[in-house]
Amino acid sequence: MIAGALEPSKGRIHSRGKDVTGHRSFSLVKCGIARTHQVVRPFRAMTVLENVQLAVHFGRKSITRTAAARDHAREVMARVGIDRQADTLAANISLGDQKRLELARALATDPELLLCDEICGGLSPTETRSMLDLLRRIRQQGTTIMYVEHDVKAIMAVCDRVMVLNYGQKLAEGSPHEIQNDPSVIEAYLGKAGSQKKGRSRA
Amino acid sequence: MSTAAYAPSRAEARVRLLVPWLLLAVLAVLPAAGLTPNLIRLLFITFVWVTTSLGWNLLGGFAGQVSFGFAVFYGLGAYTAALMIDRGVNPYISFVAAGIVPAIASVLIGLPTFRLRGPYFAIATIGVSEATRVIMNNLSITGGASGFRIMEKGPFRQVDHYYTALGIAAIAVTVSLLIVNSKFGMALRAIKQDEDAAADLGVNPFAYKLAIHAVAAGLTGIAGGVFARYAAFINPPGVFAFQTSIYILLMPVIGGIGTVWGAVLGGLVFGIVEEQLVANFPQIHLLLYGGLLILIILLEPDGLAGLLGKIYRRVRRSRRADGNTHSGSREADEVLRRAGGG
Repeated sequence: MIAGALEPSKGRIHSRGKDVTGHRSFSLVKCGIARTHQVVRPFRAMTVLENVQLAVHFGRKSITRTAAARDHAREVMARVGIDRQADTLAANISLGDQKRLELARALATDPELLLCDEICGGLSPTETRSMLDLLRRIRQQGTTIMYVEHDVKAIMAVCDRVMVLNYGQKLAEGSPHEIQNDPSVIEAYLGKAGSQKKGRSRA
Repeated sequence: MSTAAYAPSRAEARVRLLVPWLLLAVLAVLPAAGLTPNLIRLLFITFVWVTTSLGWNLLGGFAGQVSFGFAVFYGLGAYTAALMIDRGVNPYISFVAAGIVPAIASVLIGLPTFRLRGPYFAIATIGVSEATRVIMNNLSITGGASGFRIMEKGPFRQVDHYYTALGIAAIAVTVSLLIVNSKFGMALRAIKQDEDAAADLGVNPFAYKLAIHAVAAGLTGIAGGVFARYAAFINPPGVFAFQTSIYILLMPVIGGIGTVWGAVLGGLVFGIVEEQLVANFPQIHLLLYGGLLILIILLEPDGLAGLLGKIYRRVRRSRRADGNTHSGSREADEVLRRAGGG
């Protein structure tokens, strides 16, 4: 709903005092809200650079000039660590790099709020560590990150504030330490018969 | 895995820039070289087809929206120009109007139909096309099903028509090249691959589809107008025929969908071959088109441009191998193929 994929049945969504309820995703990008996808969705027939360049062109700053957009795209790619893949088709890079490309494209739109949907899903432990480091750096540079994840270790490693959902209901909210010791969370995560777990955390 | 993109050598880039201009120059002096009126007519109609092919390619090739309804724009352009020229308006002003009217129509058609995706959009365009044909068949102002005869003052000069058609084809190539290399073109390519992912990066797919639909319809309409002036007689079963839509779609598919020069090549080949097919196989020429379409999609989805590109790369690679240098990689080949516009 925050990313504009679904419309809420009730309630309002505000971003920096502006009501953005029901806004479509492309208009939310202009409001500084960008997302990544759990299952990567690169433009496979475009190069990595072109993927990011597109996001620069249509992001919050709307940079029209090709040269300027490419320069900015290269900066973002360097931040994320895929600058060496610039001229490779997005279809031909590894899953880890495609996840980074997801992040690079979202970052290239210059967001204030970055929505990350299981960005570490499918990554090896080394890739996960490096991705979490990257998320930390992005946060330190002033971007708010809302991170949906069910890997508890990943959540505890990067989040300032955690919200746990169970069957669509909020189970608990607080600091990672509070969440770890919350009896209802422990019960849900220990897997009482019929329960499912889903962590939603906010860094 | 990481590879540099294909970078044409300086000489190659120069040739690439030069070839279109050379082609244009040759075509421009051809009538003076003593072509027969029949050949001039054949080339004239071929340029008209090339323009429609490029128009369709903007929407179908770049933005990936397969429309079976381009006869609507071709026909509207033809009738707009016909009505205006018949009333004594300058033909070239009429051609501008022949671009504007279909462009407006395309927005009206696009508003509901672009809410549909993929095959549903394609089916909707067939419906709109057929509805327009039925309306035009019964519209008295345009002579209904009996057609419309254009009475233009002044002598008929075939060469004027030839240059007009060549001019609009050149404009269509220029417009296509400008779009493919722009921010607009990049958005269209993204929409073609994943509309929702493009929207997540700030592209408004609906607005961009409407915009490119209008440009495509405008070019197709002008082509229709130029054809109508030459033919001096048009009727709904001709210009609004479903068959016309199929022709317009077939050309970029033959030539190479999504590339500018593929669409040009498809138009050229189709324009020249179509006449022979109709003349020699009047009963089964549509069947032959269908067969051709299936063959191309099965064997060479990138069309003639893709085939020529493959041959060119193979020759280039074998030459390089002779010179003991590293040959181009698959990724580079893909970039080259995709950059068929350039």
